[in-house]
Amino acid sequence: MLYRALLIGVLINWPFLSVRADAGDGDGTGYWDNLQIHGFASLAGIKTSDNRFFGDSPHTSFDFSELGLNVSLRPAPTLLISAQLLARRAGEMYDGEPALDYALLDYCAAATPDYRLGLRVGRIKNPLGLYNETRDVPFTRPGIFMPQVVYFDQVRNLLLSSDGLVLYGDAYTGLGSLSLSVLHGRAVVDENVEWAYLNGDFPGDVESRSDSWIWSLWFATAGDRLRLGFSGASLSVDFDPRTSAPPILGAGSFDILYWIASIQYDAEDWTLSAELMREPIDWHDFGALYPDRRLTAEGYYLQAAYRVSPGIELMMRYEEGFADRADRSGKAMSRVGGGQGPAHMGYSKIWTAGLRWDLDRHWMLRLEYQRHSGTFTLSSRENPYLPGQVKDWNLVAAQIAFRF
Amino acid sequence: MTVERVAKQDRDDAWHSGRDPGHLGDGRLQPCSPCLVPLFLALYLCSAPLMAQELIVNGSLPDVALTRNEALLYFTGRLQLWPNGMPVKVFVLPDSNLLHREFVKSVLGLYPYQLRRVWDRQVYSGTGQAPILVGSEQEMIERVASTAGGIGYAHSEPDDGRVRPLEVH
Repeated sequence: MLYRALLIGVLINWPFLSVRADAGDGDGTGYWDNLQIHGFASLAGIKTSDNRFFGDSPHTSFDFSELGLNVSLRPAPTLLISAQLLARRAGEMYDGEPALDYALLDYCAAATPDYRLGLRVGRIKNPLGLYNETRDVPFTRPGIFMPQVVYFDQVRNLLLSSDGLVLYGDAYTGLGSLSLSVLHGRAVVDENVEWAYLNGDFPGDVESRSDSWIWSLWFATAGDRLRLGFSGASLSVDFDPRTSAPPILGAGSFDILYWIASIQYDAEDWTLSAELMREPIDWHDFGALYPDRRLTAEGYYLQAAYRVSPGIELMMRYEEGFADRADRSGKAMSRVGGGQGPAHMGYSKIWTAGLRWDLDRHWMLRLEYQRHSGTFTLSSRENPYLPGQVKDWNLVAAQIAFRF
Repeated sequence: MTVERVAKQDRDDAWHSGRDPGHLGDGRLQPCSPCLVPLFLALYLCSAPLMAQELIVNGSLPDVALTRNEALLYFTGRLQLWPNGMPVKVFVLPDSNLLHREFVKSVLGLYPYQLRRVWDRQVYSGTGQAPILVGSEQEMIERVASTAGGIGYAHSEPDDGRVRPLEVH
Protein backbone atom coordinates (compact mmCIF):
# COMPACT_ATOMS: atom_id res chain seq x y z
CA MET A 1 0.00 0.00 0.00
CA LEU A 2 1.24 3.42 -0.90
CA TYR A 3 0.30 5.08 2.38
CA ARG A 4 2.31 2.50 4.31
CA ALA A 5 5.29 3.13 2.10
CA LEU A 6 4.93 6.87 2.61
CA LEU A 7 4.71 6.55 6.36
CA ILE A 8 7.66 4.20 6.55
CA GLY A 9 9.62 6.61 4.39
CA VAL A 10 8.80 9.49 6.68
CA LEU A 11 9.59 7.52 9.83
CA ILE A 12 12.91 6.24 8.55
CA ASN A 13 13.95 9.72 7.49
CA TRP A 14 12.66 11.40 10.62
CA PRO A 15 15.96 12.15 12.42
CA PHE A 16 17.55 13.08 9.14
CA LEU A 17 14.69 15.43 8.27
CA SER A 18 14.77 17.10 11.67
CA VAL A 19 18.47 17.74 11.52
CA ARG A 20 18.29 19.15 8.04
CA ALA A 21 15.33 21.35 8.95
CA ASP A 22 17.23 22.78 11.90
CA ALA A 23 20.26 23.40 9.74
CA GLY A 24 18.26 25.44 7.23
CA ASP A 25 19.55 28.97 6.91
CA GLY A 26 16.05 30.36 6.57
CA ASP A 27 16.34 31.75 3.09
CA GLY A 28 13.57 29.40 2.01
CA THR A 29 15.40 28.00 -0.98
CA GLY A 30 16.81 24.73 0.45
CA TYR A 31 15.26 21.40 -0.34
CA TRP A 32 14.42 20.63 3.32
CA ASP A 33 13.42 24.11 4.41
CA ASN A 34 9.87 23.27 3.47
CA LEU A 35 9.51 20.64 6.17
CA GLN A 36 6.71 21.50 8.60
CA ILE A 37 5.64 19.75 11.76
CA HIS A 38 2.35 20.57 13.45
CA GLY A 39 0.29 18.96 16.16
CA PHE A 40 -2.55 19.30 18.62
CA ALA A 41 -3.76 17.83 21.89
CA SER A 42 -7.01 18.13 23.79
CA LEU A 43 -8.65 16.90 26.96
CA ALA A 44 -12.33 17.18 27.88
CA GLY A 45 -14.45 16.64 30.94
CA ILE A 46 -18.03 15.53 30.28
CA LYS A 47 -20.98 15.27 32.64
CA THR A 48 -24.40 14.01 31.57
CA SER A 49 -27.61 13.73 33.58
CA ASP A 50 -28.23 10.23 32.10
CA ASN A 51 -26.83 7.98 29.35
CA ARG A 52 -23.18 7.39 28.60
CA PHE A 53 -21.58 9.75 26.09
CA PHE A 54 -17.82 9.51 25.51
CA GLY A 55 -17.24 7.47 28.65
CA ASP A 56 -18.93 7.16 32.03
CA SER A 57 -20.37 10.65 31.72
CA PRO A 58 -23.12 10.30 34.39
CA HIS A 59 -20.22 10.18 36.85
CA THR A 60 -18.15 12.73 34.90
CA SER A 61 -15.95 11.32 32.17
CA PHE A 62 -12.46 12.41 31.24
CA ASP A 63 -12.34 9.79 28.51
CA PHE A 64 -12.31 12.15 25.57
CA SER A 65 -8.85 13.17 24.48
CA GLU A 66 -7.12 13.74 21.17
CA LEU A 67 -3.49 13.83 20.16
CA GLY A 68 -2.35 14.50 16.62
CA LEU A 69 1.04 14.99 15.01
CA ASN A 70 1.63 15.73 11.36
CA VAL A 71 4.53 16.30 9.06
CA SER A 72 4.58 17.76 5.58
CA LEU A 73 7.26 18.36 3.01
CA ARG A 74 7.18 20.19 -0.30
CA PRO A 75 10.13 18.78 -2.29
CA ALA A 76 9.02 20.83 -5.30
CA PRO A 77 6.41 23.60 -5.66
CA THR A 78 4.00 21.19 -7.34
CA LEU A 79 4.53 18.27 -4.91
CA LEU A 80 3.44 17.86 -1.31
CA ILE A 81 4.00 14.82 0.91
CA SER A 82 2.15 14.73 4.23
CA ALA A 83 1.09 12.35 6.98
CA GLN A 84 -0.66 12.58 10.33
CA LEU A 85 -0.85 10.23 13.29
CA LEU A 86 -3.93 10.49 15.48
CA ALA A 87 -4.46 8.97 18.91
CA ARG A 88 -8.02 9.44 20.00
CA ARG A 89 -9.70 8.24 23.13
CA ALA A 90 -13.49 8.46 23.13
CA GLY A 91 -15.22 6.43 25.84
CA GLU A 92 -15.92 2.84 24.81
CA MET A 93 -15.68 3.76 21.13
CA TYR A 94 -11.96 4.54 20.76
CA ASP A 95 -9.17 3.49 23.08
CA GLY A 96 -6.50 6.00 22.13
CA GLU A 97 -4.35 3.68 20.06
CA PRO A 98 -2.46 5.76 17.46
CA ALA A 99 -3.72 5.37 13.92
CA LEU A 100 -2.60 6.70 10.60
CA ASP A 101 -5.05 9.52 9.99
CA TYR A 102 -3.81 10.46 6.54
CA ALA A 103 -0.70 9.92 4.45
CA LEU A 104 -0.70 11.28 0.96
CA LEU A 105 1.16 12.58 -2.00
CA ASP A 106 -0.34 15.65 -3.64
CA TYR A 107 0.63 16.60 -7.17
CA CYS A 108 -0.66 19.89 -8.50
CA ALA A 109 -0.57 19.43 -12.28
CA ALA A 110 -1.62 22.98 -13.16
CA ALA A 111 -2.18 26.18 -11.19
CA THR A 112 -2.97 29.53 -12.77
CA PRO A 113 -4.96 32.58 -11.60
CA ASP A 114 -7.93 31.05 -13.46
CA TYR A 115 -7.87 27.39 -12.43
CA ARG A 116 -6.06 24.60 -10.59
CA LEU A 117 -5.95 20.87 -11.28
CA GLY A 118 -4.29 18.11 -9.30
CA LEU A 119 -4.43 14.68 -7.78
CA ARG A 120 -3.74 13.05 -4.43
CA VAL A 121 -2.97 9.41 -3.68
CA GLY A 122 -2.74 7.58 -0.37
CA ARG A 123 -4.96 7.74 2.68
CA ILE A 124 -7.10 10.83 2.23
CA LYS A 125 -9.57 12.52 4.58
CA ASN A 126 -13.00 12.44 2.96
CA PRO A 127 -14.02 15.96 1.90
CA LEU A 128 -17.58 15.68 3.24
CA GLY A 129 -19.57 18.68 4.43
CA LEU A 130 -18.12 21.74 6.14
CA TYR A 131 -16.10 19.87 8.75
CA ASN A 132 -15.32 16.22 8.00
CA GLU A 133 -11.75 16.66 6.76
CA THR A 134 -10.58 18.17 10.04
CA ARG A 135 -13.27 16.88 12.40
CA ASP A 136 -10.74 15.56 14.92
CA VAL A 137 -8.89 18.85 15.30
CA PRO A 138 -10.48 20.71 18.22
CA PHE A 139 -9.66 24.10 16.69
CA THR A 140 -11.49 23.51 13.43
CA ARG A 141 -14.69 22.05 14.91
CA PRO A 142 -17.67 24.27 15.63
CA GLY A 143 -17.85 22.98 19.23
CA ILE A 144 -16.42 20.37 21.60
CA PHE A 145 -18.56 17.84 19.74
CA MET A 146 -19.46 17.75 16.08
CA PRO A 147 -23.14 18.17 15.17
CA GLN A 148 -23.89 14.49 15.86
CA VAL A 149 -26.91 14.12 13.61
CA VAL A 150 -24.78 14.85 10.52
CA TYR A 151 -21.29 13.77 11.63
CA PHE A 152 -22.01 10.64 13.70
CA ASP A 153 -19.27 9.96 16.23
CA GLN A 154 -20.54 6.42 16.76
CA VAL A 155 -19.39 5.53 13.21
CA ARG A 156 -16.98 8.27 12.35
CA ASN A 157 -14.49 5.91 10.75
CA LEU A 158 -16.78 4.75 7.98
CA LEU A 159 -16.84 8.26 6.56
CA LEU A 160 -13.56 9.60 7.93
CA SER A 161 -11.00 8.66 5.32
CA SER A 162 -10.36 6.47 2.29
CA ASP A 163 -7.39 4.70 0.79
CA GLY A 164 -7.42 5.69 -2.83
CA LEU A 165 -7.01 8.47 -5.32
CA VAL A 166 -8.66 11.88 -5.59
CA LEU A 167 -8.78 14.25 -8.52
CA TYR A 168 -9.39 17.89 -7.65
CA GLY A 169 -10.01 21.04 -9.60
CA ASP A 170 -10.77 24.70 -8.84
CA ALA A 171 -12.02 27.41 -11.18
CA TYR A 172 -11.78 31.07 -10.18
CA THR A 173 -14.24 33.38 -11.93
CA GLY A 174 -15.49 36.90 -11.42
CA LEU A 175 -18.56 35.50 -9.66
CA GLY A 176 -16.62 33.33 -7.23
CA SER A 177 -14.83 30.03 -7.12
CA LEU A 178 -15.97 26.55 -7.97
CA SER A 179 -14.22 23.46 -6.56
CA LEU A 180 -14.75 19.80 -7.36
CA SER A 181 -13.09 16.70 -5.88
CA VAL A 182 -13.80 13.12 -6.88
CA LEU A 183 -12.33 10.28 -4.84
CA HIS A 184 -12.25 6.59 -5.65
CA GLY A 185 -11.06 4.05 -3.12
CA ARG A 186 -11.77 1.97 -0.05
CA ALA A 187 -13.39 3.34 3.12
CA VAL A 188 -11.48 2.72 6.33
CA VAL A 189 -13.80 0.78 8.70
CA ASP A 190 -13.60 -0.60 12.24
CA GLU A 191 -15.78 -2.50 14.69
CA ASN A 192 -17.79 0.62 15.60
CA VAL A 193 -19.27 0.29 12.12
CA GLU A 194 -20.44 -3.21 13.05
CA TRP A 195 -22.00 -1.94 16.28
CA ALA A 196 -23.81 0.90 14.60
CA TYR A 197 -25.07 -0.78 11.45
CA LEU A 198 -25.53 -4.35 12.71
CA ASN A 199 -26.39 -3.54 16.34
CA GLY A 200 -23.72 -5.65 17.96
CA ASP A 201 -20.30 -7.21 17.74
CA PHE A 202 -20.87 -10.52 15.96
CA PRO A 203 -18.28 -13.22 15.35
CA GLY A 204 -16.73 -12.17 12.08
CA ASP A 205 -15.38 -9.08 10.38
CA VAL A 206 -16.72 -6.15 8.42
CA GLU A 207 -14.80 -5.08 5.35
CA SER A 208 -15.49 -2.24 3.00
CA ARG A 209 -15.26 -2.80 -0.73
CA SER A 210 -12.59 -0.99 -2.67
CA ASP A 211 -15.06 0.63 -5.01
CA SER A 212 -16.43 3.51 -2.99
CA TRP A 213 -16.93 6.94 -4.57
CA ILE A 214 -16.79 10.21 -2.73
CA TRP A 215 -17.38 13.60 -4.22
CA SER A 216 -17.58 17.21 -3.11
CA LEU A 217 -18.67 20.25 -5.04
CA TRP A 218 -18.37 23.77 -3.61
CA PHE A 219 -19.23 27.23 -4.83
CA ALA A 220 -18.02 30.30 -2.94
CA THR A 221 -18.80 33.90 -3.74
CA ALA A 222 -16.04 36.53 -3.82
CA GLY A 223 -14.40 36.86 -0.40
CA ASP A 224 -15.89 33.49 0.59
CA ARG A 225 -18.91 35.30 2.04
CA LEU A 226 -21.38 32.63 0.99
CA ARG A 227 -20.40 29.03 0.45
CA LEU A 228 -22.62 26.31 -0.94
CA GLY A 229 -21.60 22.69 -0.95
CA PHE A 230 -22.89 19.33 -2.02
CA SER A 231 -20.84 16.31 -1.04
CA GLY A 232 -21.42 12.62 -0.58
CA ALA A 233 -20.18 9.06 -0.43
CA SER A 234 -21.39 5.87 -2.00
CA LEU A 235 -19.98 2.72 -0.45
CA SER A 236 -20.64 -0.93 0.39
CA VAL A 237 -19.58 -2.95 3.41
CA ASP A 238 -19.47 -6.77 3.51
CA PHE A 239 -19.82 -8.92 6.60
CA ASP A 240 -17.80 -12.13 6.79
CA PRO A 241 -19.06 -14.45 9.60
CA ARG A 242 -15.74 -16.40 9.83
CA THR A 243 -17.19 -19.22 11.90
CA SER A 244 -17.59 -22.96 11.35
CA ALA A 245 -20.83 -23.10 13.36
CA PRO A 246 -24.02 -21.92 11.65
CA PRO A 247 -23.63 -18.14 11.93
CA ILE A 248 -26.22 -15.98 13.70
CA LEU A 249 -25.64 -13.38 11.04
CA GLY A 250 -25.14 -14.45 7.42
CA ALA A 251 -22.55 -13.15 4.98
CA GLY A 252 -24.57 -10.09 4.04
CA SER A 253 -23.74 -6.56 2.95
CA PHE A 254 -25.03 -3.08 3.39
CA ASP A 255 -24.89 -0.28 0.85
CA ILE A 256 -24.82 3.35 1.88
CA LEU A 257 -25.32 6.57 0.01
CA TYR A 258 -24.48 9.41 2.37
CA TRP A 259 -24.80 13.00 1.22
CA ILE A 260 -24.65 16.46 2.78
CA ALA A 261 -25.95 19.75 1.42
CA SER A 262 -24.13 22.63 3.13
CA ILE A 263 -24.49 26.39 3.34
CA GLN A 264 -22.36 28.84 5.27
CA TYR A 265 -22.51 32.63 5.42
CA ASP A 266 -19.63 34.65 6.88
CA ALA A 267 -19.93 38.19 8.20
CA GLU A 268 -17.21 39.97 10.12
CA ASP A 269 -18.56 39.11 13.56
CA TRP A 270 -20.81 36.15 12.91
CA THR A 271 -21.12 33.00 10.83
CA LEU A 272 -24.31 31.11 10.02
CA SER A 273 -24.07 27.47 8.98
CA ALA A 274 -26.65 24.87 8.07
CA GLU A 275 -26.32 21.36 6.73
CA LEU A 276 -28.74 18.65 5.68
CA MET A 277 -27.64 15.02 5.60
CA ARG A 278 -29.46 12.00 4.22
CA GLU A 279 -28.20 8.46 4.29
CA PRO A 280 -30.14 5.74 2.49
CA ILE A 281 -29.01 2.36 3.84
CA ASP A 282 -29.80 -1.00 2.23
CA TRP A 283 -29.13 -4.22 4.22
CA HIS A 284 -29.30 -7.48 2.34
CA ASP A 285 -28.42 -11.21 2.55
CA PHE A 286 -27.84 -11.35 6.31
CA GLY A 287 -30.09 -14.44 6.64
CA ALA A 288 -33.48 -15.28 8.12
CA LEU A 289 -32.90 -13.63 11.50
CA TYR A 290 -32.02 -10.33 9.92
CA PRO A 291 -34.38 -9.75 7.00
CA ASP A 292 -33.46 -7.42 4.16
CA ARG A 293 -34.47 -3.87 4.82
CA ARG A 294 -33.99 -0.40 3.53
CA LEU A 295 -34.35 2.98 5.19
CA THR A 296 -33.06 6.53 5.03
CA ALA A 297 -31.45 8.20 8.03
CA GLU A 298 -31.66 11.99 8.14
CA GLY A 299 -30.11 14.85 10.08
CA TYR A 300 -29.93 18.62 9.83
CA TYR A 301 -28.80 21.55 11.91
CA LEU A 302 -28.72 25.32 12.00
CA GLN A 303 -25.78 26.94 13.78
CA ALA A 304 -24.86 30.53 14.57
CA ALA A 305 -21.45 31.66 15.80
CA TYR A 306 -20.86 35.18 17.09
CA ARG A 307 -17.37 36.56 17.65
CA VAL A 308 -17.53 38.89 20.63
CA SER A 309 -13.85 39.74 20.10
CA PRO A 310 -11.18 38.09 17.93
CA GLY A 311 -10.56 35.52 20.68
CA ILE A 312 -14.04 34.87 22.07
CA GLU A 313 -16.84 33.14 20.20
CA LEU A 314 -20.37 32.21 21.26
CA MET A 315 -22.20 29.41 19.46
CA MET A 316 -25.83 28.25 19.33
CA ARG A 317 -27.06 25.23 17.41
CA TYR A 318 -30.26 23.30 16.94
CA GLU A 319 -30.19 19.89 15.32
CA GLU A 320 -32.58 17.05 14.60
CA GLY A 321 -31.75 13.56 13.44
CA PHE A 322 -33.76 10.45 12.66
CA ALA A 323 -32.66 6.82 12.27
CA ASP A 324 -35.43 6.46 9.67
CA ARG A 325 -36.93 9.58 8.20
CA ALA A 326 -40.15 7.65 7.44
CA ASP A 327 -40.48 6.81 11.16
CA ARG A 328 -39.70 10.10 12.90
CA SER A 329 -41.24 9.04 16.21
CA GLY A 330 -39.18 5.82 16.25
CA LYS A 331 -42.31 3.84 17.14
CA ALA A 332 -42.29 1.54 14.12
CA MET A 333 -38.63 0.66 14.70
CA SER A 334 -39.33 -0.04 18.37
CA ARG A 335 -42.23 -2.36 17.39
CA VAL A 336 -40.07 -4.29 14.93
CA GLY A 337 -37.50 -4.78 17.67
CA GLY A 338 -40.17 -6.28 19.94
CA GLY A 339 -40.23 -3.16 22.10
CA GLN A 340 -36.79 -3.89 23.49
CA GLY A 341 -35.40 -0.62 22.18
CA PRO A 342 -37.50 2.39 23.18
CA ALA A 343 -39.02 4.61 20.47
CA HIS A 344 -36.81 7.57 21.41
CA MET A 345 -33.77 5.66 20.09
CA GLY A 346 -35.12 6.60 16.68
CA TYR A 347 -34.48 10.34 16.96
CA SER A 348 -32.40 13.09 18.55
CA LYS A 349 -33.34 16.74 18.94
CA ILE A 350 -30.52 18.75 20.44
CA TRP A 351 -30.01 22.35 21.56
CA THR A 352 -26.40 23.38 22.05
CA ALA A 353 -24.86 26.53 23.52
CA GLY A 354 -21.10 26.90 23.44
CA LEU A 355 -18.31 29.29 24.36
CA ARG A 356 -14.87 29.30 22.75
CA TRP A 357 -11.95 31.27 24.12
CA ASP A 358 -8.65 31.36 22.22
CA LEU A 359 -6.17 32.44 24.89
CA ASP A 360 -3.41 32.84 22.30
CA ARG A 361 -2.48 31.09 19.10
CA HIS A 362 -1.65 27.85 20.94
CA TRP A 363 -4.28 27.44 23.63
CA MET A 364 -8.06 27.23 23.50
CA LEU A 365 -10.74 26.67 26.13
CA ARG A 366 -14.30 25.58 25.42
CA LEU A 367 -17.49 25.17 27.41
CA GLU A 368 -20.61 23.54 26.07
CA TYR A 369 -24.13 22.77 27.21
CA GLN A 370 -26.50 20.44 25.35
CA ARG A 371 -30.13 19.56 25.93
CA HIS A 372 -31.15 16.32 24.27
CA SER A 373 -34.49 14.75 23.51
CA GLY A 374 -33.98 11.24 22.15
CA THR A 375 -30.95 8.94 21.98
CA PHE A 376 -30.38 8.36 18.26
CA THR A 377 -26.90 9.86 18.45
CA LEU A 378 -25.77 7.65 21.35
CA SER A 379 -23.49 4.69 20.71
CA SER A 380 -25.16 1.34 21.45
CA ARG A 381 -21.67 0.14 22.28
CA GLU A 382 -21.59 2.64 25.15
CA ASN A 383 -25.26 2.11 26.05
CA PRO A 384 -25.88 -1.59 25.30
CA TYR A 385 -28.87 -1.92 27.65
CA LEU A 386 -31.35 -0.35 25.28
CA PRO A 387 -34.39 -0.04 27.63
CA GLY A 388 -32.14 1.91 30.00
CA GLN A 389 -31.60 4.77 27.53
CA VAL A 390 -33.21 7.89 28.99
CA LYS A 391 -35.16 10.09 26.56
CA ASP A 392 -34.52 13.58 27.99
CA TRP A 393 -30.98 14.26 29.12
CA ASN A 394 -28.49 17.09 29.50
CA LEU A 395 -24.78 17.41 28.91
CA VAL A 396 -22.16 19.86 30.16
CA ALA A 397 -18.60 19.67 28.87
CA ALA A 398 -15.37 21.62 29.12
CA GLN A 399 -12.33 21.19 26.91
CA ILE A 400 -8.80 22.50 26.82
CA ALA A 401 -6.79 22.24 23.63
CA PHE A 402 -3.28 23.05 22.49
CA ARG A 403 -1.75 23.25 19.04
CA PHE A 404 1.51 24.20 17.40
CA MET B 1 1.69 58.50 16.89
CA THR B 2 -0.92 55.84 17.34
CA VAL B 3 0.14 54.21 14.11
CA GLU B 4 3.72 53.96 15.31
CA ARG B 5 2.77 52.54 18.62
CA VAL B 6 0.54 49.95 17.01
CA ALA B 7 3.35 49.00 14.68
CA LYS B 8 5.62 48.33 17.65
CA GLN B 9 3.34 45.78 19.22
CA ASP B 10 3.90 43.23 16.48
CA ARG B 11 5.00 40.56 18.91
CA ASP B 12 1.78 40.73 20.82
CA ASP B 13 -0.04 37.45 20.72
CA ALA B 14 -2.90 38.23 23.05
CA TRP B 15 -6.09 37.97 21.07
CA HIS B 16 -8.32 39.61 23.56
CA SER B 17 -6.37 42.84 23.48
CA GLY B 18 -6.07 42.94 19.70
CA ARG B 19 -8.58 45.69 19.08
CA ASP B 20 -7.63 48.20 21.72
CA PRO B 21 -4.39 50.06 21.04
CA GLY B 22 -4.64 51.75 24.44
CA HIS B 23 -3.57 48.50 26.10
CA LEU B 24 -0.87 47.51 23.71
CA GLY B 25 1.84 50.14 23.76
CA ASP B 26 4.87 50.48 25.98
CA GLY B 27 4.51 49.89 29.68
CA ARG B 28 4.34 53.57 30.60
CA LEU B 29 0.81 53.86 29.31
CA GLN B 30 -0.49 51.09 31.54
CA PRO B 31 -2.72 50.81 33.38
CA CYS B 32 -5.01 52.87 31.22
CA SER B 33 -6.74 55.46 33.33
CA PRO B 34 -10.45 55.83 32.60
CA CYS B 35 -10.07 59.42 31.39
CA LEU B 36 -7.55 58.36 28.75
CA VAL B 37 -9.79 55.71 27.23
CA PRO B 38 -11.92 58.13 25.17
CA LEU B 39 -8.75 59.87 23.99
CA PHE B 40 -7.16 56.65 22.80
CA LEU B 41 -10.41 55.55 21.26
CA ALA B 42 -10.62 58.83 19.34
CA LEU B 43 -6.98 58.54 18.22
CA TYR B 44 -7.56 54.97 17.17
CA LEU B 45 -10.69 55.75 15.20
CA CYS B 46 -9.03 58.71 13.48
CA SER B 47 -5.87 56.84 12.67
CA ALA B 48 -7.45 53.62 11.42
CA PRO B 49 -8.29 54.91 7.92
CA LEU B 50 -4.79 56.36 7.62
CA MET B 51 -3.08 53.06 8.35
CA ALA B 52 -2.15 51.82 4.91
CA GLN B 53 -1.02 48.33 4.01
CA GLU B 54 1.33 47.48 1.19
CA LEU B 55 1.79 44.08 -0.35
CA ILE B 56 5.53 43.54 -0.68
CA VAL B 57 7.57 41.00 -2.62
CA ASN B 58 11.21 40.17 -3.04
CA GLY B 59 12.97 42.62 -5.35
CA SER B 60 13.92 39.87 -7.82
CA LEU B 61 10.27 39.59 -8.87
CA PRO B 62 9.01 41.77 -11.74
CA ASP B 63 7.07 44.94 -10.99
CA VAL B 64 3.65 43.76 -12.17
CA ALA B 65 0.42 44.67 -10.39
CA LEU B 66 -1.62 41.78 -8.94
CA THR B 67 -5.35 41.28 -8.99
CA ARG B 68 -7.01 40.68 -5.61
CA ASN B 69 -7.73 37.11 -6.75
CA GLU B 70 -4.03 36.49 -7.49
CA ALA B 71 -2.96 37.95 -4.13
CA LEU B 72 -5.48 35.70 -2.41
CA LEU B 73 -4.28 32.61 -4.30
CA TYR B 74 -0.68 33.30 -3.25
CA PHE B 75 -1.60 33.85 0.40
CA THR B 76 -3.80 30.75 0.54
CA GLY B 77 -1.13 28.54 -1.02
CA ARG B 78 -3.12 27.71 -4.13
CA LEU B 79 -0.49 29.34 -6.37
CA GLN B 80 2.92 27.94 -5.48
CA LEU B 81 4.87 29.45 -8.37
CA TRP B 82 5.40 33.00 -9.58
CA PRO B 83 4.90 33.58 -13.32
CA ASN B 84 8.72 33.58 -13.69
CA GLY B 85 8.89 30.05 -12.20
CA MET B 86 10.19 31.00 -8.76
CA PRO B 87 8.60 29.22 -5.73
CA VAL B 88 6.26 31.41 -3.66
CA LYS B 89 7.28 31.93 0.01
CA VAL B 90 4.53 33.51 2.09
CA PHE B 91 5.36 35.43 5.29
CA VAL B 92 2.70 36.49 7.77
CA LEU B 93 2.38 38.13 11.18
CA PRO B 94 0.31 36.52 13.98
CA ASP B 95 -3.47 36.51 13.50
CA SER B 96 -3.90 38.97 16.37
CA ASN B 97 -1.59 41.56 14.81
CA LEU B 98 -3.42 44.69 13.70
CA LEU B 99 -1.42 45.10 10.48
CA HIS B 100 -2.20 41.49 9.58
CA ARG B 101 -5.90 41.96 10.27
CA GLU B 102 -6.12 45.16 8.22
CA PHE B 103 -4.12 43.72 5.33
CA VAL B 104 -6.25 40.57 5.14
CA LYS B 105 -9.46 42.59 5.24
CA SER B 106 -8.69 45.45 2.89
CA VAL B 107 -6.16 43.94 0.48
CA LEU B 108 -7.20 40.27 0.31
CA GLY B 109 -10.90 40.92 0.94
CA LEU B 110 -11.23 38.17 3.57
CA TYR B 111 -11.88 38.29 7.29
CA PRO B 112 -8.84 37.09 9.25
CA TYR B 113 -10.74 34.12 10.72
CA GLN B 114 -11.58 32.94 7.19
CA LEU B 115 -7.92 32.93 6.18
CA ARG B 116 -7.05 31.03 9.37
CA ARG B 117 -9.77 28.50 8.51
CA VAL B 118 -8.29 27.92 5.04
CA TRP B 119 -4.77 27.41 6.44
CA ASP B 120 -5.98 25.13 9.27
CA ARG B 121 -7.91 22.96 6.88
CA GLN B 122 -4.83 22.56 4.67
CA VAL B 123 -2.41 21.93 7.52
CA TYR B 124 -4.58 19.37 9.34
CA SER B 125 -5.85 17.49 6.27
CA GLY B 126 -2.42 17.26 4.67
CA THR B 127 -3.43 19.21 1.58
CA GLY B 128 -1.23 22.25 2.15
CA GLN B 129 1.25 23.97 4.42
CA ALA B 130 1.08 26.93 6.77
CA PRO B 131 2.69 30.24 5.76
CA ILE B 132 5.92 31.23 7.52
CA LEU B 133 5.19 33.13 10.73
CA VAL B 134 7.35 36.16 11.58
CA GLY B 135 7.43 38.12 14.82
CA SER B 136 7.48 41.73 13.67
CA GLU B 137 7.09 44.00 10.69
CA GLN B 138 10.87 44.55 10.65
CA GLU B 139 11.44 40.80 10.50
CA MET B 140 8.80 40.52 7.78
CA ILE B 141 10.62 43.07 5.60
CA GLU B 142 13.99 41.44 6.27
CA ARG B 143 12.71 37.94 5.41
CA VAL B 144 10.94 39.06 2.24
CA ALA B 145 14.08 40.98 1.24
CA SER B 146 16.34 37.97 1.75
CA THR B 147 14.06 35.25 0.31
CA ALA B 148 13.78 34.76 -3.44
CA GLY B 149 10.06 34.55 -4.26
CA GLY B 150 9.11 36.04 -0.86
CA ILE B 151 5.77 37.80 -0.38
CA GLY B 152 4.42 39.65 2.66
CA TYR B 153 3.08 43.02 3.70
CA ALA B 154 4.06 46.23 5.49
CA HIS B 155 2.51 49.48 6.67
CA SER B 156 4.22 51.49 3.97
CA GLU B 157 6.73 51.05 1.20
CA PRO B 158 9.85 49.83 3.04
CA ASP B 159 13.06 51.78 2.73
CA ASP B 160 14.87 48.72 1.43
CA GLY B 161 15.90 48.32 -2.19
CA ARG B 162 15.65 44.53 -1.98
CA VAL B 163 11.88 44.73 -1.42
CA ARG B 164 9.34 45.77 -4.00
CA PRO B 165 5.81 46.98 -3.21
CA LEU B 166 3.18 45.61 -5.61
CA GLU B 167 -0.09 47.26 -6.39
CA VAL B 168 -3.21 45.12 -5.83
CA HIS B 169 -6.34 46.06 -7.73
